[in-house]
Amino acid sequence: MTKTRRPGISRRSTLALMGAGAMSVAAPWVARAQAKTIKIGMPTILSGRVAQLGTSSRNAVMLEVEKVNGAGGLAGRQIEMVIRDSKGQPQEAARVARELVNTDGCELLLDGEASSGSFAVHEVARDLGVLCIHTCSEASSLTADPKQRIPNAFRCVRQGIHDSIVGGSYAASIAKAKGLKKWATCSPDYAYGRDTTGEFTLYLKRFAPDIEIISESWPKLFQADYTEVVTKILQAKPQALYSCLWGGDLTSYIDQANIYAMFSQMEVFAVNMADYTALTVVKNLPKGIHSGNRYIKTFPTTPENAAWGDAYKAKYNEYPTNWSWQNATAVMFLAEAAKKANSADGKKIAEVLKGLTIKCPFGADGTVTMRGDDHTLVGYAIGWGTTIPQEPYVPEVKAGDWKTIFELEAEWKKSKGYT
Amino acid sequence: MTELEAGRAQTLVPARSGAALQRYRDVLIALIAFAVLASLPLFTGSKALLDFVIRCSAYGLFATSLNLLVGYTGLTSFGHGMFFGLGAYSFGLIMQKLGVPIPVAFVATLAITAVVAAIIGAICVRLKEIYFAFVTLAFQMLIHSTILSWASFTGGDQGLRGGIPRPVFLGIDLSDHVHLYVTSCALLILGLLAMHQIAQSPFGYTLRMIRDNAARASFLGIDVWRAKLTVFVLAALFASMGGMVMALFVSGAYPEFAYWTISGEGIFINMLGGVSTFLGPMVGTVLLLLLNDTVTRFTEYHGIVLGVVILFFALGLRKGLLDFVADWLAQRRDAGEGR
Repeated sequence: MTKTRRPGISRRSTLALMGAGAMSVAAPWVARAQAKTIKIGMPTILSGRVAQLGTSSRNAVMLEVEKVNGAGGLAGRQIEMVIRDSKGQPQEAARVARELVNTDGCELLLDGEASSGSFAVHEVARDLGVLCIHTCSEASSLTADPKQRIPNAFRCVRQGIHDSIVGGSYAASIAKAKGLKKWATCSPDYAYGRDTTGEFTLYLKRFAPDIEIISESWPKLFQADYTEVVTKILQAKPQALYSCLWGGDLTSYIDQANIYAMFSQMEVFAVNMADYTALTVVKNLPKGIHSGNRYIKTFPTTPENAAWGDAYKAKYNEYPTNWSWQNATAVMFLAEAAKKANSADGKKIAEVLKGLTIKCPFGADGTVTMRGDDHTLVGYAIGWGTTIPQEPYVPEVKAGDWKTIFELEAEWKKSKGYT
Repeated sequence: MTELEAGRAQTLVPARSGAALQRYRDVLIALIAFAVLASLPLFTGSKALLDFVIRCSAYGLFATSLNLLVGYTGLTSFGHGMFFGLGAYSFGLIMQKLGVPIPVAFVATLAITAVVAAIIGAICVRLKEIYFAFVTLAFQMLIHSTILSWASFTGGDQGLRGGIPRPVFLGIDLSDHVHLYVTSCALLILGLLAMHQIAQSPFGYTLRMIRDNAARASFLGIDVWRAKLTVFVLAALFASMGGMVMALFVSGAYPEFAYWTISGEGIFINMLGGVSTFLGPMVGTVLLLLLNDTVTRFTEYHGIVLGVVILFFALGLRKGLLDFVADWLAQRRDAGEGR
């Protein structure tokens, strides 16, 4: 018997082996192509006076990105954040944003800039057509003004006008109950301070028409000494004081006004008080200052919000800021939109983002919405309460009513010629 | 003609033809430099590199114009950034509100800058040293505060929003990245060429004399005030050009452009690059932007790094980089000649 086949490797098995070999060589490549990371660029302020806020934005983003990556990433692609300092300079913000997209290959942008920097990044987004979510700029005109609007930019931030409507109605109810007719204001002398104070008093008078503003003070931004402001207000003897000072300015103001026992002589409404950056820094936090919520883990009073605040504190050993929740929410929006679009493509995500409602620990009813017609965040928890000197600092917050906010916001937009 | 006059005429003729030759050489170098820069997009697709050169144009024009004051005239202005901001804002506002063609807005901005600089200069250049520095700084803060407070016109601290419209002119579309790049390069080269001509002209030498000994210049019949005012206005015009390039780059104008930190950066650039050579500030610009861009990629503690670098230049080299190179070359040449 002659063997027709010699022992050894047959042609068939050779082919099979070659195929298997090719597969084993190619498999990681295929897998890698599928799991190709997606880079998200983020210019924010990591140096200078507001560096603390920029850092807290970065912390919140990283906290959420870890969760998204753990759950499989953005439509199957792991997120890699590229976060750079803009020093709070608009020309640097524009440069960094362009560099992130053009050189570093970022496909999406989170814009962690405040004020003028956000408008500079907005122009970059307009120019490059890349999907951009603003996460820190509270200037209402960024999304309310139709001239600013572009299909690829969204804003996931609270807004000055919303705060003023809620603040005005809350303060008016207190004013009526306590008979506070004579008011003074004390706010930083720049656009935010002037606009916010103007809008607050507008709504305050609307809800309580017999109120009178008897004194106005406009200290400079980052002023060190508030003695003249404090004495001016004390001499005017108002029954209530409104202030939109923030951060270090607010804490130095309170420390200096405490010397004159100002807080026992009038009701104080400081919209930016209820933020841990201010609450934990003031030496003797007076009891009973009325404040809007910036970020406070006790409002909304849900286990999800408390858990988020605790998780952040556990990881970074400090409490989150107002910028933190906004940045975290932006990542949540991206994750949900990518899931719905089944793609990490900026254009497809932008389509889905319009009008998208997601579950969110910072929502007034457990959800927040990216309003479709002006690409801005609504439905977030917003309210006012009074301080106590120790944790939880603002034990009870009275929630604002979004129905009223929507009505008055529409009126305001019309008065500005935006609609 | 006396013998003396005849002798002087003979020496003047070659000097004049020498000046003409120098001018041709400058134009030739400028043309070559422009050709090299303008052909860059043919070799590289890197948008970041083009962005870098556009920013170099803006800051380079600004810093070199500051050197006309600091290096050539001895006027240390701490408020030169106001003209950078003024250029950006005037150009942006004219384009947004009037919708005129870009060259018209460009010329109008230069005219506005000239008027403002003449008024501010008339007050400032009478003063000396620290007083001049501080009054220019005061005017800068005045302009910065005006921009912040006049929110209905300038947009306040949020800047000029909504983008700067860029209608096409002469086939140039500045919303196209490459067109903007080539235009910025052209403005930079033209600006540098013009400033070099000013520096090398008899007027330029008058400025150096004023810097070295103003009393002597005055005794020689030079109207020192007028010469200082002229260079103040000229420097403002080039700073304003830099501001316009920056406004086009970011498609807006922001109060930070008129803030003292911009003036500070100008001084910083001059210290880095050196004030005794014409191209010192240009070298300083490239150095500063390179440092800034690379350091901010890796750390937010860029302030420390930049601080150490300036300390090295101030305490270590005791002059700018190009000053150091020029001195070193001169020493080598002297040594070579056996002196």
